[in-house]
Amino acid sequence: MTALAVLLWLLNMSMDTFGHLAFKAAAGHGLDLDTFSHWKHLARSPWLWAGVVCYFCEFFVWAAFLSQVPLAAGVMLGSINIVVLMLAGRLMFRERLTPWRVAGILLITGGVALVGLGV
Amino acid sequence: MKRFYLIGFLCLMASDSLAQISFKFAGMAAEPLEFGMNWVLRIMANPWSYGALLGYLCSFISWMTLLRYAPIGPAFAASHLELVTVTILSVWIFHEPLTLPKVVGGLLIVLGVLCLARDESAASGEEQAHDGAQRVNRA
Repeated sequence: MTALAVLLWLLNMSMDTFGHLAFKAAAGHGLDLDTFSHWKHLARSPWLWAGVVCYFCEFFVWAAFLSQVPLAAGVMLGSINIVVLMLAGRLMFRERLTPWRVAGILLITGGVALVGLGV
Repeated sequence: MKRFYLIGFLCLMASDSLAQISFKFAGMAAEPLEFGMNWVLRIMANPWSYGALLGYLCSFISWMTLLRYAPIGPAFAASHLELVTVTILSVWIFHEPLTLPKVVGGLLIVLGVLCLARDESAASGEEQAHDGAQRVNRA
């Protein structure tokens, strides 16, 4: 992979993770409200809009990344987002890492490393 | 119900594959890659970008419909199995070579996804058991 491809890959990874965390932060508030008020509450959440803007930009980053690597390898390398998001969930929201999750994380990371070194 | 799952999973895989293939076409058409509005405008003017958008939209609808009935574990796994279809399609459409690191790496990732799906199934099973126990306690 070229340095540019790695940069775009890291950028995509950070934006994807940030987008998911922002949505999670937005969704976790006002759960005690009724449906309509909950949606109104959501629409006013800066986290929600930060997530939307982030995903909009990610669209372009992903197109740029895929123009630099073969498609199959690109999609496989993108799987690292699952791992990073899970670790971020552990850090930010204290989500549990069960043995099955650790196994999944190790397998996905190994696979991504193998594909990444081969590109 | 089996038929519903099958069609749902196929829709999900098809729309995810459509999105990724469209992204690749759009990215290739907009080359050379440069950091600036010119490149962004080239992407926005390319019809394939809207194929990617359509793919994402259909994928979202299939996912939400599937989740209404399918257990989360298998659904999560299915949502990442586009890896397999995209790889096969990339050989056919873009003549990408199927190298050994790609095949082994792809298999490891799929196995990892299956582990996570297994965990989600176990977790939602536990929750249901827990809810059941609470209901019994209340009674």
